[in-house]
Amino acid sequence: MTLALSRSSRREFLSRAGGGFGGLALSSLLSESAGAVSHHAPRAKRVIQIFCSGGLSHVDTFDYKPELERRAGTPFDPEGKLQFFASKPGNCLPSFWKFRQHGESGLWMSDLLPKLAKCIDDMAFIYSMQSKTALHGPGAFMMNTGQTLPGFPSMGSWVTYGLGSESENLPAFVVLPDVRGLPPGGIINWGAGFLPAEHQATALDVANVKTPIADLFPSESFAEETAAADEPGLEFLNELNQLHRKFRSGNTELEARIKAYEMAARLQLSAPEVTDLHGETELTRKLYDIEHPDIGPFGRQCLLARRLVERGVRFVQIYCGAENTTAEKIRPNWDSHEDLPRDHGYWGPILDTGASALLIDLKSRGLLEDTLVICTSEFGRQPAAQNDTGKGRDHNGGGFTAWMAGGGIKGGTGYGATDELGWKAEDKVVHSYELHATALHLLGVDHERLTWYHNGLEQRLTGFEGKGVIHDLLA
Amino acid sequence: MTCWRSFALASGLAVSSGWATDFGREVRPILEAHCFECHGPEKQKSDFRLDLRSAALKGGGNGPAIVPGNPSESPLIAHIEAPPVDEMAMPPRKKGEQGLSPEEIETLRTWIGEGANWPDNLAGEDGRLGHWAWQPLREDVGTARSIDDFIQGEREAVGLEMSPEADRLTLIRRLSFDLHGVPPSPDAVEAFVEDPDPRAYEKLVDSMLDSTKYGERFARHWLDIAHYADTHGFERDQRRDSAWRYRDYVIDSFNDDKPYDRFLREQIAGDVLWPEEEEAIVATGFLAAGPWDFVGQKETKSPVLRRSARALDLDDMATQVMTATMGMTVNCARCHDHKLDPISQEEYFRLQAVFAGVKREERVISEAALQKYEKEKAVLSRKLDEADFAIAKLEGESLDLADIVGGGNGLGTGTVGNGIDSRSGKVQTRKFGAIRNAVANRFKPVDFEFIDGVFVPDGEDGKAGVPISSTGLVVSGLPKTSVAVWDMIRNGPVSSTHSTELDGVDFASEGRSMLGLHANAGITFDLAAVRKATGLKGLRFSSRLGYFGAAGANQADAWVVLDGKIVVEHRGLNREQGLQEIDLSLPETARFLTLISTDGGNGYGHDQVAFGDPKLKPDPPRTLSAEDRDELTRWKRKRAEVERELKVLGEPPRYYGIVAEEEMPEVRMQRRGNPEAEFGDPLPPGAFSVLAMLDPDLGGRDATEGERRRALADWIAHPDNPLSSRVIVNRLWHWHFGQGIVATPSDFGLGGSRPSHPELLDWLAHRLKENGGSLKAVHRLILNSAAYRQESRFTSEAPGVAIDAGNRLLWRQNPRRIEAEAVRDSVLFVSGKLNPERGGPGFRDFKYTDAYAPIYEYVTADEPKLWRRSIYRFLVRTTPDQFLTTLDCPDPANLTPKRLTTTTPLQSLALYNNDFMLRQARYFAERVQEEAGDDPATQVARAFALAFGRSPSREESELSVSLVEKEGLFAFCRSLFNANEFVYVD
Repeated sequence: MTLALSRSSRREFLSRAGGGFGGLALSSLLSESAGAVSHHAPRAKRVIQIFCSGGLSHVDTFDYKPELERRAGTPFDPEGKLQFFASKPGNCLPSFWKFRQHGESGLWMSDLLPKLAKCIDDMAFIYSMQSKTALHGPGAFMMNTGQTLPGFPSMGSWVTYGLGSESENLPAFVVLPDVRGLPPGGIINWGAGFLPAEHQATALDVANVKTPIADLFPSESFAEETAAADEPGLEFLNELNQLHRKFRSGNTELEARIKAYEMAARLQLSAPEVTDLHGETELTRKLYDIEHPDIGPFGRQCLLARRLVERGVRFVQIYCGAENTTAEKIRPNWDSHEDLPRDHGYWGPILDTGASALLIDLKSRGLLEDTLVICTSEFGRQPAAQNDTGKGRDHNGGGFTAWMAGGGIKGGTGYGATDELGWKAEDKVVHSYELHATALHLLGVDHERLTWYHNGLEQRLTGFEGKGVIHDLLA
Repeated sequence: MTCWRSFALASGLAVSSGWATDFGREVRPILEAHCFECHGPEKQKSDFRLDLRSAALKGGGNGPAIVPGNPSESPLIAHIEAPPVDEMAMPPRKKGEQGLSPEEIETLRTWIGEGANWPDNLAGEDGRLGHWAWQPLREDVGTARSIDDFIQGEREAVGLEMSPEADRLTLIRRLSFDLHGVPPSPDAVEAFVEDPDPRAYEKLVDSMLDSTKYGERFARHWLDIAHYADTHGFERDQRRDSAWRYRDYVIDSFNDDKPYDRFLREQIAGDVLWPEEEEAIVATGFLAAGPWDFVGQKETKSPVLRRSARALDLDDMATQVMTATMGMTVNCARCHDHKLDPISQEEYFRLQAVFAGVKREERVISEAALQKYEKEKAVLSRKLDEADFAIAKLEGESLDLADIVGGGNGLGTGTVGNGIDSRSGKVQTRKFGAIRNAVANRFKPVDFEFIDGVFVPDGEDGKAGVPISSTGLVVSGLPKTSVAVWDMIRNGPVSSTHSTELDGVDFASEGRSMLGLHANAGITFDLAAVRKATGLKGLRFSSRLGYFGAAGANQADAWVVLDGKIVVEHRGLNREQGLQEIDLSLPETARFLTLISTDGGNGYGHDQVAFGDPKLKPDPPRTLSAEDRDELTRWKRKRAEVERELKVLGEPPRYYGIVAEEEMPEVRMQRRGNPEAEFGDPLPPGAFSVLAMLDPDLGGRDATEGERRRALADWIAHPDNPLSSRVIVNRLWHWHFGQGIVATPSDFGLGGSRPSHPELLDWLAHRLKENGGSLKAVHRLILNSAAYRQESRFTSEAPGVAIDAGNRLLWRQNPRRIEAEAVRDSVLFVSGKLNPERGGPGFRDFKYTDAYAPIYEYVTADEPKLWRRSIYRFLVRTTPDQFLTTLDCPDPANLTPKRLTTTTPLQSLALYNNDFMLRQARYFAERVQEEAGDDPATQVARAFALAFGRSPSREESELSVSLVEKEGLFAFCRSLFNANEFVYVD
């Protein structure tokens, strides 16, 4: 598949492939051959994206605001003009954690993330992120699909649509959801939208070692009945399908479908192998802290992500936090409206351990060079307290921080800035458009040429408002 | 122009001579030389073009650039006069490069000052207006008399022959999947194959179109382009419990062969056009079918976020209506004039003005319908009551638990209104409100003979055991509660009860009782004490549980626990659900009966739960005379009859549709589609001028919400509108051939595909009109054509492969992979488990947990109520059914004019291993065993007939028999479900 085809010629190409997408379908989910043609030489071959659901506070983590400290306790909006998502702003509320400079770059990070701070020279920060919304669902959609509405393909879907797969035995796009539940907006965050369904992510259940992928094997209740019959049944199926095909050789989809059963069998071997962490050294297990009751699950997600990219998976998405489900004492995500020290205090060490372990591990294996790591949230949090004397912060779509590392990223970079309080991105404002364009660029894809015609438009991941690749972030 | 000229003169601006500037000779050459490269026919930077009068005078994304009569106020002049270093300098140039000369600038100044006179003959022509789709239907389509005349002409022109007609077996299978979405039964195949009538095929087409399965199949196609689902979507993906009425409307409309123009009008403005007709009102569910952001539109306090969510909501509505009915992709014109089609941004917002007063909401079909429903329900409830009384009388005395709570013996000696404090077990006679200092999970004994004690529950979502008896029994599995308490546990309603009447039964009336148990509270009765006092052994507990608080989002949970085990669980109980029947046999060994109510996780407000007529009865009932026994049987039969009638009466007449905003909001243009950047005057409603045969004005700015929609409905369904009829006949073609005459069924604009047979398209559109908008008439034309009846099999050596691989010229029929829903339905059909029940609320093959964002967890569909056709699924937006999604079922967030087909290993895994598939394979095997007996060859033949509608070949039979003998029928049936022949139709 070449991306440079024009719309009409791509259509022709697809129809030549058999009146549908059959001929192409396999290339991205499980590919026998290498991926598709790139637009230019890639710096990164694969992506691991960490998504912090709920809205991670930039002013308590990455975006140091001394002015906020100076104005602590004074009204943020003395004229009472502003209305946030759920509240009127209270007083200026400085970070709950002390900020320090780290590494050779001297960039700032708060004490909430001490382990990640040691990796700071590998990371590039975009301090001037902005969203079109301050709502969880649309915000998550925007960072994942480039649009605030549901129904658009996620970045991983676009990437696999464009580049296909590197792995012969595993899906090209894998998602590792938080064990606590789905993110805001649900599973369509990693859906294929209007792209063909083979570009949707395959969800891997971190907690289920035996059957990490849905329907990988029959359920327990059928295990006995099917164990012996599985293979003869498939053999028979193959023979039946070959007879059926005899008089229909023009329809290539039939052959593709026969092949799909062979590939499914391969997946049955490769998926449990990748989720079985027994082969990992004690040191590695400690690094990711996978036995810890709170940190462990995310550590496992990160470790699995490394194992997946090692085996050629193109795009791995990790969720750190779920939707606001049942009211627990600690929120099931970063959405810290009432008690930020409590909730970020809980989630901080989780992200800190898993993400730093991932960077260190990738680097020591020489994988960080061509693996792009991205960490985002749907938006940030307000520099003001939620309500007068609250300990929480409301949603802030106006400014937040995202970071990237590896895969052609210039480590130790700080890009853009929010205002002196961290309320709004001011200098070099970045939306999902530029972030996505930069990621695609590193993967060797020109974001303006990765398109799909839908509803009257050559749709792009990066939309039509963006300013394109952020060259300052590139090594 | 004259007017501008005199204005310019009067204000004394830049008039250099008595002679007007000559646009063609003096002005246009300047624009052409300096501006057209970026603002001309090729490119329109900032959405601004200067080659067309209309576009130039209107301006671009930044508003008007030319203010006639006022050069100094005209941004165009400011741009060309700006020094080259300035960001706004036009044309953009490097230092030292020349811009416009002073003379040229002066000419433009003068020209604008004079009023920017731009003669008609130089206005420029928009070539896009000549696009085929905007033209009227052609009247003259040559001598062609049938579909095949058109097809033949195009095909022969490239020297291709058509394929032979498919055999009858293939034809009935093709028709059956095409029109019904399930395979034909072996009997139907046999009858058709052996029908000696030469018109057997035509007869089959007719009878299949007459079947109600046709509507169930075609409604799915229409719901795809309406992006219908049964939940809101977005973050808080709440249910739309009455949305199914629109789905049933669509099914019925197809089955009734409703004239297409009427079908369109009803869906856009049925409530305005036919306010007395229920189905026309329900039809507007079309406008509400798409997703809706509760958090963005209602929950957030931020007006900016609300406006943004609302703008997207309106965009979704307008896009859906225009793509579905007219194949026009209007949403591209939201931020700027449409890049491809001649639709201006102003036209987009005039269309928006049609919908600006429309909100999605659940509503009653009509007050009359609701009253009728409630009246009927009340009559039936009274009958049920009557039967209950009679039965109670015959079955003997029973103890009233409410009376016992009131300090009585269960036979009426207690005090109505008395209560017990759930914190302390003390008796209270006066009314209370919110009770302070409640402590969870502390059991307090009560000093009544039949009551063991009371408590305030908090199960901490299963983490805490709640003590429920003096002997130390605990119950686990209860949810987390707020540990808030309201009033007492009462003999009668708790204080502030919204109403003691539910489903037409007033439990405060004579002869009735209620045990008021406001969340969060629990009470345990001592059955041993009851047995001891009454001498009874076996007991039954019966009651009619209800939520007596106000209707709305309020809800609570109620539980009945027997000796620490939950035996009745009603989660999410609310007023709308009415009364819940409880009838439990209590074994002689049972000691403690506990009633609990909890707050449902959303606070305890309004949670006025009560057990109506809570009775302990002797079990078995006392010995009766033969006469009394007959009498009892009669009453029980009567009661069952009334219950059936209640079921038939069904759901209250509500539907998910639209309501008008109280005041019609004003709609203005928005810069780059940003609702915070409105500009210009309020716009009147309007459609698109690109269809020159129609008047785009849809009323003045004072038009009401309903008038606007009616005007749009009239514009879309207008007999002269060539697009709506072209679009629907093309859709029918697409659904029958897998590929439309226009390959982009919802996009007939310049970005869409060109028709392969333009004359045929118009010919079909004429036939639709001629037949009064009957879709079935067009179906018949297509299905009876030779083109449709061709074989689809072809080898890779077929001549058509080289000449027309995409089969645009139809030298064969297209083989097709059946859609996700058809796979599921066919599996059920073949296993014999398909439940043919039609209409009504969708089946829910998931466990629903109410939370801030509700949780939907799918279960394996393994009972008849979940074996209905897929069209009756309850569709959840955030959590679609993964089994079907894997099989290419589209996301209902998207408008889906065309299903995509992919082939993946995950599909293989789903079909081979999914629990639903395995269970159905087992049922299939059982069916074959039952119908074919023990002989493997007979079994194989039967299974082939059921799954593929044909006999196996000798080779197939041998292979199959060998598998059956070695691995059993189950393995064989499982493989048949996975076969290419099962999912591909020739």
